[in-house]
Order: sequence, then C-alpha cells, then structure tokens
Amino acid sequence: MWIAATLYAIPLVWMAAVSIRPAAQAAAAGVNPLPSLPEGDPAPKWSVAYWSALAGQSSENYSGVWNSPAADFPTYFRNTLMVGVLSVLGMTLASAVAAYGFSRLRWPGRDGVFVLVLLTLMIPQAVLMSPQYLLFKKMGLIGTMLPLWLPAWFGGAFSIFLLRQFFMTIPRELEEAARIDGCSHWGTFLRIILPLSRPALLVVALMQAVATWNDFLGPLLYLNREEQYTLSLGLQMFQSQHGGTPWNLVMAASVIVVAPVLVLYVAARRFFVGGVGAGGVKE
Amino acid sequence: MSFSTDNRGSVTRRAALGALAAGAGVMAFWPRIPRSRASIPAGRKVIDYWEKWTGPEGDAVQRIVDRFNSEQSLLWVRRVPVSEIDTKAMVAIGGGDPPDVVGVFSYNVPQYALSGAAIPLDSIGAGATSIRPDWYAPAVARLLSFNGRLIAGVSSLYSLALYYNRSLFAEAGLDPDQPPRTVEELDIAADRLTIRRDGRIERAGLLPNLPLWWPYFWPIMFGGRLYDPVNDRAEFDALESVRAYEWVAGYPRRLGTAESREFGVAYNRSFHSPQDPFISGRVGMIVQGPWLANFINLYRPGLDYGVVPAPVPAGLLDPANPYGLLEADVLIIPRGCKDPEAAFEFVRFTQRRDVQEQLAREHTKSSPLAECSAGFYEGHGNKFVRVFDAITRSANVRILPQTPVWKGYAHLTEGAFDSVWRGEAAAAVCARVQARAQEMIDRSSAVRAKRMVSSEGRRAS
Amino acid sequence: MSAPTEGVRRWREVSLGLAWISPWLVGFGVFLLVPVLLSVYYSLTDYALLDVPVWIGWENYRELLSDALFWKALRNTMVYAVLSVIGSSILSVGLAAMLERPMRGAGLARAIIFLPTLVPVVANCVTWLWLFNPQYGLFNSAMGAAGVQGPNWLGDTRWALPSMVFMGLWVIGSPLLVCGAALKDVPESLYEAASLDGMGARSRLMHVTLPMISPAVLFNAVMSIIWSLQVLAPPMIMTRGGPDGATLTYSMYVYKTAFEFGRMGYASALAWVQVLLTLTLAAGALWIGRKGVFYRAG
Repeated sequence: MWIAATLYAIPLVWMAAVSIRPAAQAAAAGVNPLPSLPEGDPAPKWSVAYWSALAGQSSENYSGVWNSPAADFPTYFRNTLMVGVLSVLGMTLASAVAAYGFSRLRWPGRDGVFVLVLLTLMIPQAVLMSPQYLLFKKMGLIGTMLPLWLPAWFGGAFSIFLLRQFFMTIPRELEEAARIDGCSHWGTFLRIILPLSRPALLVVALMQAVATWNDFLGPLLYLNREEQYTLSLGLQMFQSQHGGTPWNLVMAASVIVVAPVLVLYVAARRFFVGGVGAGGVKE
Repeated sequence: MSFSTDNRGSVTRRAALGALAAGAGVMAFWPRIPRSRASIPAGRKVIDYWEKWTGPEGDAVQRIVDRFNSEQSLLWVRRVPVSEIDTKAMVAIGGGDPPDVVGVFSYNVPQYALSGAAIPLDSIGAGATSIRPDWYAPAVARLLSFNGRLIAGVSSLYSLALYYNRSLFAEAGLDPDQPPRTVEELDIAADRLTIRRDGRIERAGLLPNLPLWWPYFWPIMFGGRLYDPVNDRAEFDALESVRAYEWVAGYPRRLGTAESREFGVAYNRSFHSPQDPFISGRVGMIVQGPWLANFINLYRPGLDYGVVPAPVPAGLLDPANPYGLLEADVLIIPRGCKDPEAAFEFVRFTQRRDVQEQLAREHTKSSPLAECSAGFYEGHGNKFVRVFDAITRSANVRILPQTPVWKGYAHLTEGAFDSVWRGEAAAAVCARVQARAQEMIDRSSAVRAKRMVSSEGRRAS
Repeated sequence: MSAPTEGVRRWREVSLGLAWISPWLVGFGVFLLVPVLLSVYYSLTDYALLDVPVWIGWENYRELLSDALFWKALRNTMVYAVLSVIGSSILSVGLAAMLERPMRGAGLARAIIFLPTLVPVVANCVTWLWLFNPQYGLFNSAMGAAGVQGPNWLGDTRWALPSMVFMGLWVIGSPLLVCGAALKDVPESLYEAASLDGMGARSRLMHVTLPMISPAVLFNAVMSIIWSLQVLAPPMIMTRGGPDGATLTYSMYVYKTAFEFGRMGYASALAWVQVLLTLTLAAGALWIGRKGVFYRAG
C-alpha cells in the first residue's frame, strides 16, 4: 500500500523538488530530489548552511515566477479567482433552484424532463466545442471572460442530479410545517431546504471550483489578451514560451497553480471524495 | 471525549473553509492593474501587436517596437508574444476580437486575402504615406501580394540553403572548398560523411528528414512547381516531384529505414539548442534557414562551417541563379481592427529600410527590400548572408503555391514524405497526394463560387 | 368562488415546476440544444472559420472516408481507449482491494492516491513532460542508475501513446472510489461462507469479490471509454499530436480541424462521428458486460 502511495506521490514531489533547484540543476539527470547547494561548494545535506541556501534558492525561484516579465501571474491568479467565484456562485444557486423544481414540487412530466437532464451528461464535449464557440462569437463575447462563467449560471446536469438526490431525502413534514406557517415555495427553499443541504451545496461548489480552476480549453479558445489569462492558460503559455529551458521556474509556476487546489483539498477532503465518488471530476 | 474533538475539528474546518471563500471573494475583485497595462504612458493610443518570436529573436522585435514608441508620441505598440500564432490569429479574427497587427507567415496570405480576413495594405495608405510593392525584391513582393493586392508587410525574410561542416568534410577526405552543388555530389559527400556502428547511425552525412519542416522542399529543388495558378491545378504528380521523392527514398534505403527514422525523430526536439544535430556535429550537412547562424554564434561560435545554395539535379545547375525556396514572416492588419490607420502607421514604420535592416541583422537574415544600404553586409552576424541574398534575388527562386488550401496540401506532403521513407513507391505516393490536393483545390474553388453567388443574391434582394 | 378545474390545476403545477427549473431549461436551450442543432447544420456545410458557411450536403462525411488522418486519429484513440480501460480497471480494483484492508494510515495513502485527480491538467502535463524527458527526466535517470537505457518516451513513435496512457493512470481517483464503495458493499457473510467452503484467498477473489464488484468495474470501464475518446489536453500540451502523428487523438484532430485548419464544417462532421462511436462503444461494452456482470437481486 505504501509503495503504491509513494508511486502516486512521485510526480507532485518532483514538481516541488525541481521548483526549488537552481536553474543549472533543473535539467540535470539524477534521482535525488534535493539539489546540491550552494552551487560549486555543496554543503552537507544536514547542515544549517544547506537548508538556508535551499530556502534562499526557493524564494528566488518563486519570486522570479511571481514577478516574471514574461508572465503576469498575480493577474492570472486574480482572473482565475474571479471566474471561479462567479461560476461557483452561479452553478450552486442555479442548480439548487432547478433541483428544487425536480424534487420538492410534483408536476406532470417532471421525471421525463429529469431523464433529459441526465441524458445531457452523455454528450461529448467535442460536439459542443465548435458550435459553442460560434455561438459566443454570434453573441460577440469572444475575447471576454463571460463564456467562462456565464453557462454556470444556468446550472449543470451533474450538480442538479446531486442536489436533487439530496433534497429528496429531506422529510416532507418540515416543508409542510413551513407551508402552514405561510411560507411560499421561495421561502421554503431559502429557509428550510438550503440550510439543511449545506453539505451537498458545498460538494457542488467545490466541484465547480476545481473544474473552473483546471479548465484549460475554455480560456484557450475564448481569451485573446494576456491580461485576461487564467492560471492554467498562463502556465501553458509560460511553459511553451520558454521551450522548457528554465525548468525550475516552470515547476515553481506549476506549484503556484496547484497549491490552491491542495489547500482546498486539505480543508475539505470529505466533500471532494463525496463528489468525485459520484463520478463528477473529469480529466 | 472523541465527540468533542470531532466537533472541534469540524468547527475549525468550517471556519477555515469560510475564511478561504471570503479571501477568494475579496481577492477576485481586488482592483489590480495588469503589468502589461501598467507600463503604458498616459494619453497614448494602444496598438496590440501579436508576434511569434520569443527569446533573443523576440527581444530584437521588442527593440523595433521600442524604437517606434519613442519616435512618436501618439501611439503605443504593445508586443504580445503568441505561440502557434496563425492558429490563435485565425480564432481571434474569426471570433471577431482580433489584435491590431499580427505577425503570421507568408503562406497565410492567400487564405487571409480570399476570406477578407486581412485589410489590404494598399487600401489604407495613399500617396506619400502608402506602402509600395516596388520597395521589395520582386519575389518578396509576390509573397506579400495576392490577386494584385498588397496584403501584408514583411517582418523578416528567409530562404533555405545547405549548411556543411567544414571540419567534418576535411576529416572525411572531402574538400571543404568544394561543397556539393548537385544532388549527385550531395549523395557522394553524404555517404562519405556517414559513420555507422553496430547497425546504428553514429553520424549522418545528410538526412532529408532532418528537419521535417519542409517535406515539399526537394520537389521544388528538383524543379517542380507544386501548383499551376493559371489553371488552379496541383502538380504533385509531375516528374520532378516523383524524382525528388525517389531520390529522398535513397537515404532510408542506404541507411536503413528504422535507423534513419529513429535518428531523425531523436533530434526533432533539439533543434536550435546545443544538442542541435548540426551544431553538435551529428550531421555533416543540413538544409536550414539563415537563423541557424544565430544559434551557431550562440552555442558553438568556433564551428567551422560553410553555406551554399541547396544542390539541384545536374541538369538544372545555374550558379548565377541558384534555386531556393523563399518564405517570410509577414505583418497583416486583421479585419475587425479597431483603428486600421494607426495600425498601418506602425506597419509602415517597420517597412522602412533602416528598420528592416536592423531586424534582418539581429535575426541574421537577408534584407527583403529591393535595395540594400551600403553598410548592411558589414559586420552582419551571418557570415553567409550573401548566399541567402543571392537566392532571394535569383530568377530561379520559388515561393509556395498561392492557394488558400496550401496548409492542407502541405499536410499531405508530410504524410507522403513519411510513406516514401518507409519504402512505398514514390510515383504512387505522389499520385495519391495529387488526387487529394486537387480535390481540396476543386472543392475550395467550388465553395468560393457558391459563396459568391449567395452573397450576390443577398445583395440583390 | 369555485375550485379550479383539474385542467387548470395541472397547468398551474406544470408552469410552477417549469418556472423552478427554468435556469436549467434556458441553459439547456441556449448552450446545448442550439449548439447541437447548429452542429448538425454545420456538418453539412463548408464553413471556414474566417468565412460564411456554404451548404455542401454530405460532402464532409464522404471526405472522412478517404482522410488518412481521420483513420490515424481513430486508430490512436482506439489503442488509447483499450489500453486505458484495461489498465485502469486492473489498477482500480487492485488499489481498492489494497486500500480497503484496515491498516494504519490507509486514510493518508488513499488521500495521496486520490490527490492527482484534482491537479490541473496543465500542471500535470508540465510535470510529466519533465519526468518523461529522455536526458534528465526522472524515469530515465532512474533507469540509467539501474543500468538500463530508457526510451525517448514522448519522442518515440512507438512509446508516445503508451506513455500518455501511463500518465492517465495516475488520475485514478474516480474509478478507485467507485470500486472502493463496491468493495465495502460486499457482505462479510459471503467471505465467511467462502472460507467455510475452504476457498483460498485467490479463489475468494475470483469467485466472490470480482463477481460482486463487477457492476462497478463495468461502470468504470464505460466511463473510461467515454473519457478516453475525449482525451484532448495532454497531447495538445505535451506533443501537439506528434511525433509523426503518434499521439493525434480523435478529439485533438477535431480541435485541430476546427481551430487550426479553421474548417468548422468538417470538424462538426468529425464530432458527430465521435458521438456515434462513443454511443456504439459504450453500448457494446454494456452488452458484453451484461454477460459477465453479476447483479444482486433486489
């Protein structure tokens, strides 16, 4: 078991390891994750001098990336957050509203329409790639960030499915009591259903956050100006522009892109596992 | 006990999540001026200029931009390095959100011209402020124009020639001052330079699959045209192409299909680095553009090499008028550009002789203009710039077929080159490319005709 | 005041329901239905991205048959799908079985193995580009230390596609969780009965565990087929489909056709063939699986 875990940890560990190397050692063969430092006159790995040199090298690499003239990572970071926040809000709200309609209301044809929702999960992204692009072109939205988060405001089939399953488990009595107290559907939704569904809503929000964070194709197609780039696209451009030469900086940039996801994962692992277990994250 | 720890854990966790969300929300809308905008002086109109170059070549372009920005005080050109630029440019123009100036390739010109994606330069400037085709060497003017309209300005020009390693020539008993001029001599030199050990190629004299960037190059050097613009016909089944590919096939036959292929693939990612096959001496000769001189200066300044026009079949040899393939990086003003006049001013600036020559020198290339200034060749970073210049001005220089389907056609020749390398008969392969290419051309013309009818119909109604 | 008639009441119910699901309904119409219909139309036109579409009927679909790149992309994708399905099925079952055993630190191990699923695909690809580097990448460094000359992973036409499959196996979080859940559901009593019957560990696996979790394995296989047919970002970022088209996957070809060659019409036709293919393969897998899968009653 630990062998498997170690194997799975290798790429991330090496991403971090290369990111704190001096440039000359980033493209050097070797299986030792730690570089020899200071360069030329290596100190033993257990010495204080070694670790302070390592810290110096790390901060040099990371500030080199953050302040790089070739890529404006602080701006990419902000852009990604902006798209992320907007699409998470939209996805969670819209999906919750739609899921309410699919679970707490009884109306003829409801289950038929819900099957349609599930069927849309089967449509390959490739079919939608070009026509969606042309659609946004017709709307005049190419080169803006709207195509990246606007669709989320209409909910997503998978999130609706997830929330509907959760809403179904909420006992009807609670709702009926609220109705007797004079609550409208909207009031019931806001005051009873949403507060009770926090875990499920969190799952949906997290899944959407990660999906937006990881999205590469959308920014690639819709963004034309460097000042709009998201982290994924910025990293790809940074990497391809450098042609892989300063690997230490490219890896430091990768760590910057991965770190927020790691933090989220540590803070909310339970919810991720819940969401992905249901089949949600795609690569 | 365990309950309370659990509970505390979940409270801190919830607090952490809440803090994360709040932090993200605040940061997401924190006003921040992107670095690319922060450096623009107030009151200047911004021109976005997409260019493909990076590294030292990109820096050279930036110096041109800086010069423009300091020479006047109304416009500010912002250079944006873009990889895979013709793709990104097409997507941006097609999507209706183009930059103001884009540096694409000369083979894009017909496509941009026919679809109206580039604003013809002769439709913008007038009189004293125009850009005139007669500024350029004749072949260059052809590269920049389509159907009699000047579509693009030139950014930098290149032709292909044969680089040979003089030390290796001497070592192999070849005369470094008698480089091959015909393909027959080329074969002899290549075989003499080749070293094989245990069935592997240690050093290759020449490998036509290295680099694989111009699979249509040898048919052109054998005298082929690839395309007849008058009758809108592909000409890949012409004798010249078949002979060229038969000649190419001789290399895998002599060196071993698998071995030569492996050798070629192994180096496909190391061009223009210290591991470049020519710079590191793993091939004795290579067909390359003028920029290679720049990388030799950078990585192995002591390399003793020479450059000559690429060899041709003996019957075509004409030392005064060498054969060669001419291509250029060109500047276009895309459809949808917000201020074509301003963009034009920048393009026109880059066509000035002193500016052209500055960039050509920094890119170690020859000048695209009809006349060079007296000092252009002096101290030029490319010792062999005159070889490239002679090709540019030769009566036998060729440009790529000016058809909008060229990119697809070129793609076909890649597959064809590979088939020939694997031993398939050249005639059959060429016939196949011919049929497919003609299909593409016919369809493109038919669609164009249909489009014209429907747009006229729309106008009439 | 009279009670509303049955018809009016139904109408009210339906309109209320539709109002609540309207976000999805509008999104479905605008971002799905319209694009899908457009895509059908475009597949019957010649549509250069820089120009207007022109109707050409079935021409695009006819062209497919003689398009060597189409066949190459199709073959690459099939190879990728088959290798991934086999690899990820074996790996997810094996890992799940390993992680389900009660052991110290199983939670941490599970977390580590799950983590790569969340790593942004660009960062993932960049890291693997380095790992795969023939000169100084970790794999060849390690193999070199062991005295073996490693291959030129992504640069070799024979190795490039398998390398990508290998990299894909690193992202195993979802199938692993599905298998894990299925394993947990296997009733302990079955194992006890099997032990009483004198079954060894091996035959327990073959006759109890695998049949019991076979629905989960089948589900994973179908999902893996669907995802494999859509692989786009890794070849785009790492190899651009090279060397020599060895990693040109089907989705990559669709993307290239649309946004590199600017042929929206042909790309739409390609995409529809992909839809048919996905449905056929998924249905095929389900049909084959039906025979081998054991569903518990109830």
